Amino acid sequence: MDDFERELHAAFARRAAPPDLKRKVMKQLWEQAGHARRRMVWFERIAASLVLVAVAGSALLWRNIVDRRRGEEASQQVITALRITNHALERMNIQLDEQQKH
Amino acid sequence: MAEDWQPEFEQLVDEHQSMVFSLALRMTGDRGLAEEIAQDVFVELDRNLRKLESPLHVTHWLRRVAMSRSADALRRRRVRSTDLWVEIAEHHGATVEDRTSPLSVRIEQLLVTLPESQRAAIVLRYQEDMTPEEIAATLDAPLATVKSQLQRGLKLLRSKAEAHLKEFVRGA
Repeated sequence: MDDFERELHAAFARRAAPPDLKRKVMKQLWEQAGHARRRMVWFERIAASLVLVAVAGSALLWRNIVDRRRGEEASQQVITALRITNHALERMNIQLDEQQKH
Repeated sequence: MAEDWQPEFEQLVDEHQSMVFSLALRMTGDRGLAEEIAQDVFVELDRNLRKLESPLHVTHWLRRVAMSRSADALRRRRVRSTDLWVEIAEHHGATVEDRTSPLSVRIEQLLVTLPESQRAAIVLRYQEDMTPEEIAATLDAPLATVKSQLQRGLKLLRSKAEAHLKEFVRGA
């Protein structure tokens, strides 16, 4: 190593970083963490809204199904009642026909 | 062991900020830009800290990223050496510390006029005291290329110093 290279070593000693470099780095990280937190809050809000919509939709669907089932049961009962009435009327007709024959 | 090593981010910044800032400063010749690069490098360090396994690994990683970010910044700015001279006079030279000799300052200024690849090799060789093998690993370049860049860079810097620093040589 000659004099010039020794001078290069001396000239290229590390320089002190600006005194506020670390503070700026920490601030930048803090701001990025803040953005990430805000993104997370929005994500949580959207997720909560989706869950609410899904629950409300399911409740409406369930209510619709229950109502339809009740309607079907009611119509089934009416049909059964009509059958019974029909059956009773037929028996009455038969009895009337037999009385007229006698 | 890698598992035993518990890095403290703030402590790493304290330890390495001078190295990262100096690499960026000597690669770009611009104090403001060097500070921005150093900030970016440490923010990236924070993101990658879990992947780093030892203090040596951190040093190596920081050198690589600092050199790479500096090269990116230079590519973006496409600064010509004449513009750099103006910036050096305005920013860099104005903040030179008292302990730095005028000759050292001028040599440092001449460094910025070297081609980027030669400058990178010279900075790592004389600032970080790295061997050509270590420089090749840091810059992802073949060893022969690094040796050639070191030789050419040193020769060019020496000739520039002889041409521009005569007053110092006579005064010495």
